[in-house]
Amino acid sequence: MFRFILADLRRHWAGVVAVTLIVALATALGVVVTLQERALRLGSARAADAFDLVIGAPGSETQLVLSSVFLQAAPLPLMPGSVLAGLVADPRVAWAAPVGFGDFVEGSPIVGTTAALVEGVGGVSEGRGFEHIGDAVIGASVGMRPGDRFHPQHGQVGGPGGVHTEASYHVVGRLKPTGTPWDRAVLVPIQAVWNLHRHEEHEEHGGQGDSEGQGASEAQPGQAEPHSFFAPAPASDEDGHDALGFDAAVDPAAVADAGAPGLPAIVVKPASIADAYKLRQQYRSERTVAVFPGEVLTRLYGTLGDVRFILSMVATGAQALVGAAILLVVTVHILQRRRQIGALRALGAPRHAIFAIVWSEAFAIIGVGLCLGFAVGYGAARALSTAFTAASGITLPVTFEPADLFRLGLLLLVTGIIASLPALLAYRQPPASALRG
Amino acid sequence: MADLTLRDLEVRFPGLERPALEIPALELRSGEQVALTGPSGCGKTTLINVLTGLERVRHGHVDWQGTDLVTLGEGARDRWRAANVGLVMQDFHLFPGLSAIENVLLPQRLARFRLPRGAKEEARRLLKRVGIARLDQPVETMSRGQMQRVAVARALLAHPGIIVADEPTASLDGDAGTAVADLLTGLAREVGATLIVASHDPRLVGHLGRVLRLDGGRLEG
Repeated sequence: MFRFILADLRRHWAGVVAVTLIVALATALGVVVTLQERALRLGSARAADAFDLVIGAPGSETQLVLSSVFLQAAPLPLMPGSVLAGLVADPRVAWAAPVGFGDFVEGSPIVGTTAALVEGVGGVSEGRGFEHIGDAVIGASVGMRPGDRFHPQHGQVGGPGGVHTEASYHVVGRLKPTGTPWDRAVLVPIQAVWNLHRHEEHEEHGGQGDSEGQGASEAQPGQAEPHSFFAPAPASDEDGHDALGFDAAVDPAAVADAGAPGLPAIVVKPASIADAYKLRQQYRSERTVAVFPGEVLTRLYGTLGDVRFILSMVATGAQALVGAAILLVVTVHILQRRRQIGALRALGAPRHAIFAIVWSEAFAIIGVGLCLGFAVGYGAARALSTAFTAASGITLPVTFEPADLFRLGLLLLVTGIIASLPALLAYRQPPASALRG
Repeated sequence: MADLTLRDLEVRFPGLERPALEIPALELRSGEQVALTGPSGCGKTTLINVLTGLERVRHGHVDWQGTDLVTLGEGARDRWRAANVGLVMQDFHLFPGLSAIENVLLPQRLARFRLPRGAKEEARRLLKRVGIARLDQPVETMSRGQMQRVAVARALLAHPGIIVADEPTASLDGDAGTAVADLLTGLAREVGATLIVASHDPRLVGHLGRVLRLDGGRLEG
């Protein structure tokens, strides 16, 4: 019987291959939606792991998280520098570090921060941390090496902008890989960002700088003016060496100074979970907003979940249509082979053998298509994740879970039931039709 | 090996006023060789379907050696047919993609899960007997005459007491037709099986001891 089935499938190989591929593609569609959505959840949750609490000026919480955790450029309001000073002194805080955005280099955002954040996102794998204002620590996938020097560029990635030729950072270390956008970032001391923009300010002789420069003015208490996250500023002309104070040693006390310049975001590592909630409570005020990136992500996932639901409905609909079309094809095929099936019966094959043959063939074709579809879907999800990682720096881990196997099993079960329809049709076919007419 | 006693047979098809087949009585002795002739549409195929249990009969008795097919259900008739009837059909109904010997063995493979002992040897012997040299030749590469000879070997594999052929030579040319006709009558005699052949072919009909002529669903003479 097995040989007969194989011979039969081989004889109709073109149709068998076509149907198998159609089933595989329809299945892959659904699998990709599920796997990719899960990968996005896992990947973004992991990216936010190091960031327990983010504090910024009142504004969009989602934007605050997207900008600080995922380094997505957007204008953020500033909060007074005294907020960081308060946090650093707070015993409920394990560490707190500013996230200030400066310029770009080779497509990597330059993030002004402190040594605490360098340790907070995993520490360095080679070289060392900040010692001088002009030191830079690069993310794991930034295309430079410790020892390199670079000039920051103005503006956004790919956009027009000049080069700060007067400023030259010295790469002193490289971060451990994190699988987050921070792998593509260049970290510098926040003072360097302040100094650079104060210097620009000086070159520009004040004026519009107030609303543009990152650390342009001493922040007034309660000040929360719109501010470009990646502030474009006109390139300044050449200046004397180290007018920016890049050779000076990093002074940890400077960021804890209550009179420090304003900041768009502060990352806080609370000492305990209870402290995290207390801090969040305390810093949700008129002057600041405190969010757990996790809760913002959960809200985003809610939206994402709706999209996934729609996509999976579309995928399910496609699968159902494919299933119906294939059922039709198989049924027509069975009717066309009425005489052959009748002949098998006439020659002495029992009805259950006919049923078994038709069922096995239908099940084999659709079943192989399903398994192939899961493989293709998994591969496609991996490829998409790789492309996404290359574009954003966020690692999207594509995982295959027991639930997926359960789903495959369920689909196979449904296939088994569906395959019995044409099999039943063949089963009920009168054998008398074998001989003529 | 199998006597047939047929009584009060009446087969009607929906939408037809007259019965397709109406035979008050017919008896065949075991080992008899019978030709079934008549114009097309006279009921030959219907009678063959009835005699082989392919067609369900609601009226009358079709008694083969004490087994009345009318009383058997569909599954039971399938089993009876697999054990007692060897069929040869006009269109051969060999299955492409399988070799000659696989085709001969196929009905037995499908009827029971495992081949009975000696079935392969018997298949080889029968194929040699019908003049097929290459047992593993794919059937789709054979001539029509060769195909029908493979079908004859297939019909004989289970040692049936009844061999039924439906126009076995109609789609063959002269020589091939004669060879198949000789094989059928010769082999049926060798194994002592009752042979029933529906045919227009005078070469074949002439070889057979008894001729039944059907017209309009009734036996003549």
